[in-house]
Amino acid sequence: MTIEVSSLKELVEQASGDDRSPDTQEYFVNMGPQHPSTHGVLRLVLKLDGERVLRCIPVLGYIHRSIEKISEHMNYMNCVHLTDRMDYLSSIMNNWAVSKAVEEAAGIEVNSRIQYIRTIFAELERIQSHQLWWGVLGMDLGAFTPFLYGIRDREVLNDVMEETVGARLTMNYVLPGGLMADIHPNFVHRVKEFIKYFRPKLDEYDDLLTNNVIIQERLRNVGVLSAQTAVQYGATGPVLRGSGVAFDLRKDHPYGVYDQADFEVPVGTVGDSWDRYWVRVEEMRQSLNIVEQLLDNIPPGDFLVKKLNSKIKIPEGRYYSQLETARGILGVFIASDKKDEPYRMHYRSPNFNNLWCLEPMIKGDYIASLIGAMSSLDLVIPDIDR
Amino acid sequence: MATTTPVPTETECPPMDFGDLKSECVAPRPSIMGQKRSLRSILWLSFKGILRGLLTTLSYFRRPSTVVTQQYPENRETLEMFERYRGRLSLIHNEEGEHGCTACQICERLCPNASIIITKDKKNEATGKPALDQFIWRQDTCTFCNICVLVCPFDTLEMTGDFESSVYDRRLLVFNLNEYAGPTAGQLDKLDDEELAKEQMKPMKKYQGPIPMCGGEMDGIPKLDVEKSTDV
Ligand code: SF4
Ligand code: SF4
Repeated sequence: MTIEVSSLKELVEQASGDDRSPDTQEYFVNMGPQHPSTHGVLRLVLKLDGERVLRCIPVLGYIHRSIEKISEHMNYMNCVHLTDRMDYLSSIMNNWAVSKAVEEAAGIEVNSRIQYIRTIFAELERIQSHQLWWGVLGMDLGAFTPFLYGIRDREVLNDVMEETVGARLTMNYVLPGGLMADIHPNFVHRVKEFIKYFRPKLDEYDDLLTNNVIIQERLRNVGVLSAQTAVQYGATGPVLRGSGVAFDLRKDHPYGVYDQADFEVPVGTVGDSWDRYWVRVEEMRQSLNIVEQLLDNIPPGDFLVKKLNSKIKIPEGRYYSQLETARGILGVFIASDKKDEPYRMHYRSPNFNNLWCLEPMIKGDYIASLIGAMSSLDLVIPDIDR
Repeated sequence: MATTTPVPTETECPPMDFGDLKSECVAPRPSIMGQKRSLRSILWLSFKGILRGLLTTLSYFRRPSTVVTQQYPENRETLEMFERYRGRLSLIHNEEGEHGCTACQICERLCPNASIIITKDKKNEATGKPALDQFIWRQDTCTFCNICVLVCPFDTLEMTGDFESSVYDRRLLVFNLNEYAGPTAGQLDKLDDEELAKEQMKPMKKYQGPIPMCGGEMDGIPKLDVEKSTDV
C-alpha cells in the first residue's frame, strides 16, 4: 500500500479532472473556516454536483499553535498544561495521558488513591464532553433547545469539578506523579447528587432528540462508515465503536482503575450517524455507572507522590503511552535524551484520524447530511491542529 | 414531505481503493419513512416526536425552581466563587501587612510562560539576607495553571476568586503583587529594632501595592500614556 502525499492544489486539480456528466455542472464550495457548524476553524473544500457531495477535502492548520514544539522547551510538569488546550473538552484526560507516559517512562508508581480520583474525573469529563456534543448535535440539525439543555446539565457537572480543580475548561489537574490538589471534602457528596440529578435528565434527552422521528431520519443511514474503513483510517472512540468494532482501551487494555469497575462498551451495528449518536448517549449512562461504583471506594493516601520542585528526568529512549479520551485514543510519544525536557513530543490525537473518515462517509450524499455526519464525529478542531 | 433518506448506491458511493484494502458500502438500516407508510402515519409520527419534545420543554413552566439562569452582573453582590477558583494571583500578606516571599525564584523558574518576574535585593541592609524587591505578575500571559501556587515552598501565593479583569490596554494587566519591598514576615520578627522593621515595610514608591502597574515602564513593555487610554 502506497500513500501519496499531495498538496491541496493537486487534490483539487485531480478532483476537477473527473468526467462531467453533460447535464449537471460540478463546482467547488468552501465550507468554513468560519462556518458555524464546523465547530471551529476547519475548512472543508467540497466538490458538489448539485447538492451531492462528490469530494470533501479537509484543510487544516488554521488554529495550529505548535504545542509539540513548545513542549520541547518545557519540563514535563509544564508540558501538561499545554495539553489542556488541545482537546479542551477532555482536558483532564489529556493531562492524564502525558502524566501516564511520563510516569511509565520515569518509573514513577502512583498510589491507588490517585488512580481512583483520576479515573473518576476522566469519566466525569467524558460525561460533560458528551453533554456538550449532544446539545451541539441538536443545534446543528436545527433544534436550539437541546443545546440549552445540554449546557444546563454540563454546568451542574462543571461546578462539581470546579470546586475541586478551580478551573472550568483548562483544568490542568493531573500532573506527572499525582494531582494538583486533593479532592474537595464536598466532592463525593456532590457527585452523588449529580448522578441522582442526571439519570432522569438522560430520559429527558431521549424525549427531546432520541425519540424524535425527524432527528432519527436525519441520522439514520447518513454517513455510513463501515468497520473496515474505520479501522483503515485509524478511527477510534465512539466513531470506531459506532461502526461495530468493540475496541475500547478502558476495557481491552485497562489503565487507571477501570479493571475494578463493571461497565459495558456500547457498540453500533451499521456505522451510520445514528449509531454514533446512540453509542455516545449510552456511554454517558455507562460513565455514570463507573463513577457510581468507584466513588465509595476511594482509598486514603497522598495526592502527590513526587516532590514537584525536583524536575522529572526520563532515561534515554522512546516511550509511547495511550488512553481513551472522550473522542478516542490519545497517544503520547516521548523521545527523551536524559534531560528534564523532552527531545521530541508527539501527540496522536483522536480527532485527526476521525476527521478523515468524513470523506468516505459522506461521498455521494447530500450536503445537508454532511452537517449531521460531521456533528456525529464530534470534532474538536484545536485537537486536530494542536 | 416524505422524502426518503438517500442511501448511497454502488455508483454514488464507489468502493474506495487503497491497493489491497478496499472499503465497502454497508447494508443500510431500514428507514422509518422509507417503509411503505401512509402520509397520515408519517405525519403522525413526526407530530408525536415534536409534541414529546415540546411537552418536555413546557413542563419546565410548572417547575420554575429548576431554572438555573444566573443574572450576572446583577448578582455581583451575592455571587460566591469556589475557594479554589483560579482567578487573579495574589501574594498573601498577613494582618500586619507582611508577606512571606523569600524571593527564592522557584515560581519564576517553573512558570511555563514566564509570567512571573522577580527582582531581588541581594543583601538587605537590615537582615543581611536576600529580600524581595518586586514581584511582578503578568496576567496577560498567565494561563492560570496553578503551578506557581503549588511549587512555592513557603505557600505564599494563592489564587483569588477575582475574575473580572477586562481592561482596554493589556499593559494594565501587569501587576506588582508585593505591598512593600523587603524581608519576609519571619525575618522581620527576628529583628530586635522595631523602628528598623517599620522602615523595611514602607510601601513601595515606584509601584504602589497590589494594583496594576498602571502601564509603568518595564522590560518589553513601553510606558502607557494614561491620558490617551480611554478608560483606566
Ligand atoms: S498560574 Fe501558571 S502561568 Fe500563571 S503565573 Fe502561575 S505558573 Fe505562571
Ligand atoms: S512566591 Fe514562593 S516560590 Fe516564588 S519567590 Fe516567593 S517564596 Fe519563592
